[in-house]
Amino acid sequence: MKVELFGMARALAGVGVVELALDGPVALPEFLRALADAVPALVPDVVRTSRDALVEPNLLLLDGRRALHDGERFGASDNPCVLFLASGG
Amino acid sequence: MTYAGPRDLLEVDLSARSARRVALGDDVFADALGGVGLAVRLLDERVRGPLDPLGPENPIVFAAGPFASTPVPAANKHALATISPLTGLLNEGLSSSHFSAVLRRCGLAAIVITGTAERWTTLAIDGDQVRFEDASDLVGFSARETTKALREGYGDRSLRVCAIGTAGERGVRFAAVENDGRQAGRGGTGAVFGAKRLKAVALRGRGEVLVADPVATAVLSARLRERALGPKTAKYRVLGTSANLRVLQRMGQLPTRNFTAATFAGAENVTPERARESKGTYLELRAGCAGCPVQCEHLYVRKERDRRAAAASEYESVWAFGPNCGVDDLDAVLDAVARCDVLGLDTISTGSAIAFAMECAEHGLVPRDAFGPMLRFGNAAVLLPAIDAIAERRGLGNLLADGVRAAAHALGGGAERFAMHCKGLELPGYEPRALPTYALGLATCTRGACHNRAATYDRDLRDPSAARDDDARARDAIAAEDRAVAWDSLVLCKFVRDCFEDFETEAAALWSAVGGLSLDGDGLRAAAQRTWERKRAINARLGWTPADDTLPERLFAEPIADGPNAGRRVEPDALASLRATYETLRREAGTALPVG
Repeated sequence: MKVELFGMARALAGVGVVELALDGPVALPEFLRALADAVPALVPDVVRTSRDALVEPNLLLLDGRRALHDGERFGASDNPCVLFLASGG
Repeated sequence: MTYAGPRDLLEVDLSARSARRVALGDDVFADALGGVGLAVRLLDERVRGPLDPLGPENPIVFAAGPFASTPVPAANKHALATISPLTGLLNEGLSSSHFSAVLRRCGLAAIVITGTAERWTTLAIDGDQVRFEDASDLVGFSARETTKALREGYGDRSLRVCAIGTAGERGVRFAAVENDGRQAGRGGTGAVFGAKRLKAVALRGRGEVLVADPVATAVLSARLRERALGPKTAKYRVLGTSANLRVLQRMGQLPTRNFTAATFAGAENVTPERARESKGTYLELRAGCAGCPVQCEHLYVRKERDRRAAAASEYESVWAFGPNCGVDDLDAVLDAVARCDVLGLDTISTGSAIAFAMECAEHGLVPRDAFGPMLRFGNAAVLLPAIDAIAERRGLGNLLADGVRAAAHALGGGAERFAMHCKGLELPGYEPRALPTYALGLATCTRGACHNRAATYDRDLRDPSAARDDDARARDAIAAEDRAVAWDSLVLCKFVRDCFEDFETEAAALWSAVGGLSLDGDGLRAAAQRTWERKRAINARLGWTPADDTLPERLFAEPIADGPNAGRRVEPDALASLRATYETLRREAGTALPVG
């Protein structure tokens, strides 16, 4: 599964896309564990130390367009993106 | 317990060259807290009907943040409020750093400046002394040059100065005011300075700023500082706000070529993140406000150039001259931002004015060669000549210097449909057609199209596809507006907003520890709502009506042309329904005004 990284996730990973060895649809905690295994530098600034949730205000959007529903599973064709907005001050 | 902080109001009349200090009572601080709350209260007492924003009667109000010059981090800030020459309505900006701290070390909670000086003047405040000094020799100087000259004149490098540049002197209606390299940029406060022939305010103060409960203040401040150095602010420390550019491009929400598109093919070329990643090409400098652990400002310059040419890379500024003008040349964009800082121009409005002119030129409404290089989307060469012409009010620049609303009105021929503004203030770099709550927040914002007075896009962006009813969106917009007033009254940097677990309760405790007056979370919410109501009351006296709370025609008439949000637009009936719900909820919450 390809994952697009933006902002802090991209800065910490040093790349804009990572490939995870995941087959079939997964729920968010499983996805984040795989992501943290692939890019340990994402813990703890992007992925929580518990590896089952993102650190606010990082968020996961599918194809950059919609958030996950509770318990929803998603796959490679959903184009997961780890994003954040650094809004004004 | 009485209010522990500096409590003096300095009232200055530039016409009479007089000044007097009066002590504000505890009731004022309990009511308005400080910062924007205090500035708006002082304006509310003085603006009782329509006035000419460039006339002597328009007050300029400085109001210190109540945590400035205390151990509270990310809080050396002040509010700067006046009636905007761009919108004709209330304009309250924020600036920060040493100037804010020294304001309080002069024993001041606020300054109100009225009148018009006979000749260019520096208002010099030295502790409890006030002088009106001839500033004729500073005319034409940038804010930075003005600061340098005044420091040399005083022989004091610690002098703190806020000043205008050429744009403010020439009355550009979106001229900024700068101190310590920070700008109160939006809404044209710099033009009000210029109309008063006020070139600069110089401060020297070494008084002690007392806090009511030093132990509690230290504990709460240390907790906030620790959080502000953690992951909640890492994005600002490491990347800065410009990281939005790639994100919004991916989401198809990057306003491009004056909002005629929502994705920009050249986005990757112009993102400052790319400069950061190519360390062999660009030098990255870091800066930030005094007493702030975040140090959010990221400046870039090509390594072969003088580092003094480094430009700030804030998202809004890069967006204004990059995607919004169709320019994909990062160096040209950074040079445009730097030129605006030298001349004292708001980058959002300046970029928007140039994008407006580019579109007008495409439709034959203005000459293609008005600024020399071809005036068209994507032509980086036109940016600097256009910026200079605006600041100096030359040719087409003179027209644009009044803002896109006035320029469109003067041009006619349908130019209004290219003028992207709310109540006269040009739009920032988010796409309202894809962000319904943000669209409402832009429409209702008392300042015009400001993204910082209600960060309503936050909720939309967290789930862009969510179906939410009017009630939920209107409640979100109201909550965001009131919370922004609370932040801006305290005045805390919004970049630490994720560092609180229960913002109202924790921030109220901090205010009580510092100021000594009692406040809890509900009290903070109530104070914020009072200030919001004052803002709208001031605007109503200046001629605002509910019909003004709308959006540019393009957002209704033209669907997004490209990207994943293609086809979306703001439905007029949908916005009307949202606004009606918003007004009902505002009335139920106690808004005193008849608001439509």
